[in-house]
Order: sequence, then structure tokens, then C-alpha cells
Amino acid sequence: MYTQATTIKAISLFLFLIPNFLCSKVDFAHEIMPILKKHCAECHASGKKKGGLDMNTRSAFLAGGENGKVAVPGKPTESYFLEAIQSEDSNEKMPPKGDGLSAGEIKKLIEWVTEGMPWDGGIRLGLSGWEPPLKPRIVKLPKAKKNRGHPIDRLLDDYLAKNKKPIPESLEDHAFVRRAYMDVVGLLPSPEQLNAFLTDKSSIKRKKLIEALLADDVAYADHWLTFWNDLLRNDYTGTGFITGGRKQITTWLYAALRGNKPYDEMTRELIDAGNDASGFINGIKWRGNVSAGQTVHMQFSQNVSQVFLGLNMKCASCHDSFIDRWTLEEAYNLASIYADKPLELTRCDKPTGKMSTAKWIFPELGEIDPKASKTERLKQLAVLMTHPENGRFTRTIVNRIWARLMGRGIVHPVDAMDTMPWNEDLLDYLAVRFAEDGYDLRKFIGFVISSHAYQSKSVFLSEEPGENYVYSGPVPKRMTAEQFMDSIWQVTGTNPAKIEAKVDRMHRDKSSVKPQSDLLPKPGKITAKWIWGPNPKTKKIKLRKKITLAVKPDLASFLGTCDNGFSLWINGKKVTSSKDWTKPVYQKTAYFFKKGENLIEVDAEMYGGSSGFVAQFIIGKDKMLVETDKSWEVAKGKEWNPATEVHPYGKGPWKRVLDQARESEAGTTPGAGPPIRAALVKNDFLMRSLGRPHRDQVVTSRPAELTTLQAIDLANGQILADYLYKGARALEAENKPTEERIDWLFRHALARLPSPTEKTILAEVASESAGNQEMEDLLWMVFMHPEFQIIR
Amino acid sequence: MNLPESIIRRDFIKQLGVASAAALATEGTSAWANEPVKHPEAKADSCILIWLAGGMAAPDTFDPKRYHPFEVGLDMNKILSTFPAIDTNVDGLKITKGLENVAQVMDRGTLIRSAFQPDLGSILHSRHQYHWHTGYVPPLTVAAPHVGAWMAKVLGPNNEIVPPFINIGQRLEGVGEKEELKAFTTGGFFGTEYGPMNLPYPEQAVQSVQPPKGMEPGRFSNRYHHFKKLIDQNPNREKMSDFQRESMVRSMESAHRLLQSKEKKAFDLTLEPKESYEAYDTGRFGRGCLLARRLVEEGARFIEVTTEYVPFLHWDTHKSGHTTVARMKKEIDRPIAQLIRDLDKTGKLDRTLVIIASEFSRDAMIEGKPGSNARDQSQARVNKLKEISHYGLHRHFTGGTSVAMFGGGVKKGFVYGKTADERPLMAIENPVSIEDLHATIFTAMGISPQTAYDVEKRPFFATKDGIGKPATGIFA
Repeated sequence: MYTQATTIKAISLFLFLIPNFLCSKVDFAHEIMPILKKHCAECHASGKKKGGLDMNTRSAFLAGGENGKVAVPGKPTESYFLEAIQSEDSNEKMPPKGDGLSAGEIKKLIEWVTEGMPWDGGIRLGLSGWEPPLKPRIVKLPKAKKNRGHPIDRLLDDYLAKNKKPIPESLEDHAFVRRAYMDVVGLLPSPEQLNAFLTDKSSIKRKKLIEALLADDVAYADHWLTFWNDLLRNDYTGTGFITGGRKQITTWLYAALRGNKPYDEMTRELIDAGNDASGFINGIKWRGNVSAGQTVHMQFSQNVSQVFLGLNMKCASCHDSFIDRWTLEEAYNLASIYADKPLELTRCDKPTGKMSTAKWIFPELGEIDPKASKTERLKQLAVLMTHPENGRFTRTIVNRIWARLMGRGIVHPVDAMDTMPWNEDLLDYLAVRFAEDGYDLRKFIGFVISSHAYQSKSVFLSEEPGENYVYSGPVPKRMTAEQFMDSIWQVTGTNPAKIEAKVDRMHRDKSSVKPQSDLLPKPGKITAKWIWGPNPKTKKIKLRKKITLAVKPDLASFLGTCDNGFSLWINGKKVTSSKDWTKPVYQKTAYFFKKGENLIEVDAEMYGGSSGFVAQFIIGKDKMLVETDKSWEVAKGKEWNPATEVHPYGKGPWKRVLDQARESEAGTTPGAGPPIRAALVKNDFLMRSLGRPHRDQVVTSRPAELTTLQAIDLANGQILADYLYKGARALEAENKPTEERIDWLFRHALARLPSPTEKTILAEVASESAGNQEMEDLLWMVFMHPEFQIIR
Repeated sequence: MNLPESIIRRDFIKQLGVASAAALATEGTSAWANEPVKHPEAKADSCILIWLAGGMAAPDTFDPKRYHPFEVGLDMNKILSTFPAIDTNVDGLKITKGLENVAQVMDRGTLIRSAFQPDLGSILHSRHQYHWHTGYVPPLTVAAPHVGAWMAKVLGPNNEIVPPFINIGQRLEGVGEKEELKAFTTGGFFGTEYGPMNLPYPEQAVQSVQPPKGMEPGRFSNRYHHFKKLIDQNPNREKMSDFQRESMVRSMESAHRLLQSKEKKAFDLTLEPKESYEAYDTGRFGRGCLLARRLVEEGARFIEVTTEYVPFLHWDTHKSGHTTVARMKKEIDRPIAQLIRDLDKTGKLDRTLVIIASEFSRDAMIEGKPGSNARDQSQARVNKLKEISHYGLHRHFTGGTSVAMFGGGVKKGFVYGKTADERPLMAIENPVSIEDLHATIFTAMGISPQTAYDVEKRPFFATKDGIGKPATGIFA
């Protein structure tokens, strides 16, 4: 209903606006939404419909309220709501309380209606209906089907029945082996390992395999490092290092994975950041001015919420989010936990004058004390993040791991934890189970892959699943760049020689002495001499030294190295060895000594270039020094002669290599370890084109498809060609007939034998006694095969 | 003003992760997930970006100011340009000595003299380069796509067989700031399908489209032929013929098609007639221009050719500016002119947009722009010239620089905007920001500056937040 006065007012406003109408377009998201949110949303959005009017979406707005339509696009004079916001009548005016809209705001809305009320995308004025729960929830498991008592199976069998989907068939042994190896340790089973499993008659062989794979701590860490480097935005190269604005957390991370550190502990260490893990929360700092939404504080806010809670604070870093409930204030308050002083909220690059307060986004669980020091605040946040009542924390991680193992998350994508899972019971159950099991990541992985659900045949998808996804079985996964490289290196024997990641992969000798709690001190004065036999070119020499001790020592250390390698025995027991002169061995050796006569023996080797062995023992509480010099003896046939002093320590090509030695665990061999894996070396062109990301941002999924540029690289790239060449040579050296080599190749790469038809085709490529080139081509064909690259 | 023709209703909750956006990005180029954006009519089908990396000094190249020759004892404040001006074949337009060949093709294009960059505080080249190439200043919450990736994504390839985005002349390993370079030389969240094919050495480009070294074509095609048979005869074929496998097979097919196509000859510089080759061959850059021309002739969509960014080398003069720029101009003068002339001769120039640009300009005295707290990085900090190494423009200047554009519907023989004649040489007429520059480039290519794709449930625009406005004054 319009009074005459209002009509005149509306028309005059409309006439006034004509010039503006012609030259500017109203920005719905930045100009109109804030007005509606500020003045209307409280009563007309998020499920509220005062007067029957819902303004959540455009269509709802246009539908109107109890008294009919309130807005007509293009016709401001017919849009009642415009009158209501200008009205001075207390019965009519909107909003009913408060100062109402400013003249500028009213003008904007009139413009907006005149322009037809453009309403961007699916922006909702308020929240959608569903709000994810915060607290963990105990789930009552459905009844188990026969022999399918695993909790995951009970839940999924029930789900499948409700969705009228069949229970997927069980995975055959060979497919299970390939998938389990790939998922747990990121390696192919060798033909021997495959065979051992296939011929094993035990009824619990799958269980045993899972246990064995999980127990291989180095291989596990090597593989899962990729997942965690992506998630924690950690890399060995990248932007920010050049200006000192970025730090790695590699050593800490690898140790945490290898030692199976519980996830809650990892999280607390990442957040309250002892030195080793601080690289995560410190973000990437670029030199110069940075936009307010991207300072390291805001990065903290974004990264912490994305990684641990699967929430997107990126939108809210610049303005109140248009798509979920997070506000600019909340993003800034979270950032303030990390910042040294309060931050000024900046909306769309304009300072607002409002200052932030350190505050956590789920106060139901507890509060941060804004007056506490930064260190204290971070500790508090660490506790709140890993609070036993923080179900979002556990749901997020179990979902990520589920996605890695089953091919698709229970919530998808995995960083959208504010959206409905396709099975709430499953997600909630896993979250609670994970916490009950002590946040044990390996145990959880074992839990998932021991289910029938995991051990089912993967589904067939004719197109990438969309929103109407219904679970019907595991989804096939494309190998990551790292898995692809590792597999190729395995088959061709071409693992890299040099490791980039500074991690401890040393083999732990089970029979070695338990390390004592005190660490050896930093090496002191060394007056030893580098020694060798009379001929510096002798490839292998034996050295010995006899010493007499008055008592059995409580403490004794050995510090030494050899160009190029050595093994050390004391009194007939092997102590340690090394193949890398740049990595001196520094260990406790008291265990091996005794009262009276002691015999120290060294086998030393040189591979070429210079040669020399140098060592220093410090024995007993009197710190008796036994250092290499010409009092040591070198074997010549059955005789022993004084060793030749090559250089005093400190001189020669090795400089002062022992000075910075750090203690290594007794019984270990520094520098040694299993073949180097792709996750441990720098990214290169081939891996990048296969999807290994740049990690300037947190990454939580890898591309599912092979692109043309990648395919070009695979067709003719030199890096791959080199691996194929070496692999073919290695295969050729074995001197077996082609058919046998093909069988071996198929078993290693595909965990099966070729079919008769495949054999015929392959025979056309590689004759009976195939040469190098033919083997290269065979290798290429197998590596390019979808069956190789996709893990089913 | 334009109202959208229709508002397509589609449920907005299209959940997109960063890395999967390549596969799931909204079809059609929406301004905002729903509204179909209106693209301007394309004036060009291909784009060649001649990237003079390192901060090419405009007063010593395209925007001559008062000249003072080298003279011991000269007050540094007097130095605006270290080269005298020369005439071009456009009345009233002068550029600097050393660009005589380019001077004779200025009648085919427009010279923008008033491009400028924001004050980012401390000057890190690769950060400004990142901004120039993606339209966004890092750090960012998502991986921003390169301007070439935008063209590849929105327009697709010009010729299905030729990769749409090709990057020539820049090594991405073994050079300083390489991590930052790699960070923007990418398809970003579009995925590697829209990323660059990198050809750092033009004379070796042909190797990228040939079988691997040492493999004859016969063996190469034989290998692929049998590969196809093998996967066809896979015993589990039916169960495995899903979208992942299909996309793999398709990509392998596209790759092999290129490697066995006639188009791949474009990559082979040895096939260029000797006289023409020599006209271009002043060095790696010149050969890169030749390669760019050949690729455009075969239908590449976007090609970047650079003199290469290496900290403190080439255009990145922190000392010996004059002598270095003299050398650089020698390297670029003939090939650029030849490129323009060749394109013109074959009638391709009208539908090819050729851009010459750099991340910022240089000045003898000012670092950044007046009022900036950017640290002075000159290595020739003297008040009076003593030696030739002091003579040049050694400080970064972001207040005004030149961008030349040829073909692609731009006015011929036109000058747009200008900079002051006295220090500070700020852009004082028709200033063109990075957003507006991109808007201009995209408009020429037929892409709306408000084009956006969804990533992590938010729109990501071709020009920052969609605010870029094209400098329409340069279009004919």
C-alpha cells in the first residue's frame, strides 16, 4: 500500500537516480549483502521468517511474506520493502528497532532493485539448514551381518542396504596386496613378496600383512611424508626461503611419523611450536608490504583452521564470509592468538578502526586468555584444539585418512567440513574410535584397511562423482607423483643417490645396546692422525690396536670416520660401520670394552681418490685417549706393521670433519638406510608435471587425471627415458629369456601375470632375446598403462 | 547498461577443492558461478608477450627524457636518460637510440607510456613479476593462474594440437629466485592442463615434440601403436573403463598426436630459411622471437618470450646501466622488428596481440616511487659520476613505465598516456594499473575482465576482484 507522499518520494528518488543508473552497476556481494545482513538477517534469515518473509535467497525474497510480495525486480516503486525501510511510521518501519538504514544504504537498495536485483550465485543471507556438530557423538552400531562384525562393515552394510546398493565383492588376494602396499608404504610388492603372500595358506594372512606393513616404520614414514608435507605446507624448496621468511619442519615431522607420535601430540607441538615445528605456524613471509588478509597472522588463522578443522577462514580474512558462518572478527581474533599485539580489522583492504582480541572460535570448549603472553596463548590453543570434546578435530583427520585410503572422503572435499557427510554415523564413529585409540594414526589406518569395506573391489565410475554421490565401494585412486616415481625406481633399480630431506632413516639394530640417557658431549680436542697402509691406493686394509684397561669402563666413546668406508669391531663384536666419510660416527662403546686386554679392529675400504681412517676413543672416567696414529697396526698378509700416518687430523682434504659430529645411537650405521624415496628429494619437472604441488598453500588432494602436457613429458621426457634405459640394462643383465622377464615385470608392476593375448602383443614388441631398446619400450608400455597408474 | 540475459539457476554449493578445480571448474565462464558473463568480441586470436624481465628502464628505451651523455663529474641528479632520442616512423613519436629497427615498426602499434605498479615496499623482482603475470600479489590463499593459463582456460587452444600456453627463454632451475618464478609460471588452480609448456632454449624446442633422444620415429610410433593394443586387450577392460582411465587415454592420444603431427615442425628452427633465421638470430631471445612467430603461425594461443630473468643481469641493472642496456637493445631491436614485420606480411598481425612489457621501470635516483620505504638497491651510489659503471638507471621505479602493443585491434602509430618530463617521472596522464592493463589485454583477446572461476567456493577473477577496466582508448 502506498501513501501518496511515499509515491512521490519514491518517484523523485527514482528520477534522481537515472544518471547513476546508467553508469554504475551495483555490486551485490560487496554493497547489498552487507546491508541486508546488518539490518534484515536477524529476523528474515537462517530459518527465521518474521512476517512470513524469508530473505535467505533471491527466490525466497521475491516470494514475499504474509501480505504478499515485497520486492519486484526492476520496479522500485512497486517494491514495498523499500517503502518500509524509509517509513517513519512505527508500525511499518523496517527494521522495527534501532536507527534503521542510512540514506546511502537506502539509495543503494533502490539502485539495486532498479537494476533487477542481481543476486550473485548461491550466496545465502543466512546459514543453510545443517550445522555440523562440535562435540563427539557415540554411535550405536547396527547389527552385524554374518562374519562382518567389523564396526565399519556394520555401518556401511547398513548404509548400502538403506540405499539399495549391493555389498561390493571381496578383493582378490593379488589386488589386495598391491593396494595394501601402495596405501600403507607407497611401494609395489616385489614378485617375491607377492608370491609369498599368494602361496601363504594361513587364514589370517591379510591381518599379518597389514601388521607387517604398519611395522615397517621407515617405509611408512617415507610414504606418508607426502600426505603430511602437503597438509602442513612443508617443502625443501619454495617461495619464502630466499628471504628467510620460511622454515622447514621436515626433521620433526619425519621423526613424528616414524615414531608414530599420536596425532593430538603432533597437533599440540605444531601449534605451541617448540623450535622444531615452528615452520608451520610461522607461515610464509614475503619481503615488503603484504595485504592485511595475508599477513603471517592471517595465514596462521587460515592454516590452523583448514588443517585441523577443515574450515575455510580464507573468505573471512577479508570480510564476513558469504558462504558460511565465519566472520571477519572471528578470523582476526583467531589470528590474534598468534600475533604479538592486537590487530586492526581490515575489511576489503580498508581499515575499520576496530581492534581484535585473541579468541578461539569454539568458546563452548574453553577460552583463550587474551592477556596471557603469546607463548601461553598458543599453549592454550593447543589444548583447546585437541580437547577431548572437540569432535571437529577428530572428524577432520579421520575423514582425511579415509579419503586417502578409500578414494573419497566421507565429507567431500576434505576441507569442507561444514558440509554434510554422506554418512554421519560412520564419520562420528570413526572420530570417537580414533580418540579412544589414543589418536594413533597407524592404528587407525590398520583399522580401516582391516575392514571388508576396504578389502572390496573398487567401484566403476563413468564420470567424476558429483553431489549426488552415494557410497558403493572404494574408489580407484590415481598414483601420486611420488608413488609413480617410487614404483618406477623400484622396478628399474634407479633410486636417487642423494637425499634432500634431513631425516633419520637409520636402521636400528635390534641387538644393540640401549642408549644411555646422557648424550655424549660435543667433540673436543682431537690429536689423532689419519692413517692407512703403506700404499694409499690399496682398496682394502685391516687395522688393529691393542689396549689394556685397568677396569671395565662405565663410559667410552668412539668418534671416527673413513674415506671411504669402515667397519669397527671391539673384542670380536661388531660395533658400527659407515660408507660415507662425510658422516662421522660418534657413539657410546663402553659395552664392548672389558678389564684387561682389549682388541680394536677396523676393516677399511677406499673406492678411489684419497684414503684415510681417523678415530678417537675416550675411555673411562680418566678419559683415556686412544687415537689413530702409527702405533696402530696394518695387516700385510699374516703380519702386522705400523700404520702409515697420512695427515694429522685437521689437515688433508677432509678438513675438520669430526668436529661437528653428533651422537648416533649405538649399533646404528649413520648414512645408511633403505633406498631413497621420492618424498625425500626435491621436486623436479617430471614430478611437478605429475601433480606434486608447489606447496605455497596447504594442499589436501592431488589431481585425479593425467593431462596432455604430462603425457607429453611421459612420452618423450629425458628424465623418464634415463630410468627406462637403466632399468632395461638391469633386466638385461639378468640374462633371462624375454618371456620370463615379461612375467617378472608384470608381477612387479601389476601384481599379476600377462594374459595370453597380452603376451602375443608384447611378443611383437620384444622378441625372444630382446635387446635393450625393446626392454625399454616394454617398460614404458607397462608404466604408462592405466592399470599401473591407477590403484584399484 | 546490460542486464544479464538470463540468470541460470544452479545450486551454488559446488564443492571445489584447489587441486580438483581443474576437473570440476564451472563450465562456461561465469562472472559469479551463475550469471553468464558477456565476453567482448575478440580482436586477436593469439597473444605474444615479449617479456623484458628485470625492470626495463623506460627512459632508456621507449620513453626518452632529457639526455646527458657520460661525463666525469656529472651530477647524478641530472641523469634522466642515458641515450639520445631518435625519430620513429610515427610523426612526433621518438624512442631511444639503439632501437632503430623497432622505430620503423612503431606505426603498427600503440605505445602506452603510463603503466604503473603498486608500492609493495621492499622490491623483490619476482614478487612484482608474479603480480604482473597473474594480476595478484603473493602471498595468496590459492595458486593464481598465469595470464597465459587464463587464455588457455577461457579460450581453449587455437589449434587443438598445439599446447595453448608456451613459455620460451626462461630457465626454471639453476637461476636465482627460481622458486618464485615457478610459483607464477603455472596453471595455478586451473591445473596443469592449462599450465605452460616450458622451452627455455628455443633452438632445442624441437626436442620437446620429438621422440626421446636416440629413438627413431618408427620405433616411437610402433611403441605407441602396441601400447594402445595392449590397453585395449586388458583382461579387466570392462571394469576399468572409467573416467580416470578414459582421461589418461585421451591425454596420451593428444600427446602422441602432437608428436606425430605436421604442426610440430613449427618447433624446429632449423627449418626456417637461412636468411630469415639470421635476421632473428641475435641470441637466445632473438631465436625465441622466431620460435614464437612459427608457433603463432601454427595456432598457439599464448606465447611468452623473455630475455630471461636472472638477478642482476640483463635489464636488472644495478650498475653499468648504460652499457648493459645498449647491449640489451642490440639483442632485442632486430628480432622484435622482424617479428612484427613478418606477422604483418603474412596478414597475421591484425589478429595477433604482441605485447612488450617489463615488471617496472628504472630511475637514476628514486627507489620505488616518491614516499616509498623500499630499500635503495643501487650498486652505484654516488652523487657525481666517476666511471662508466655509475652511468645508468640503477634504481627500481614503479611510478610509470612503457608497454608497447602491436596488432590485436590496437590503434596504429598511437601514443597513450604520458609520464612527467622532470623527476619523478610519474605517469601523469591516463595512468594504467596492472588490473587495467590486464583488462585491456583480456579485452583484446575476447575475455571479459570480470570472468571468474570458482575455487574453494569463491570466485577468482581474471583481473583482481574483477575491477580491471580496459584502456579502450588504445583500440581502433
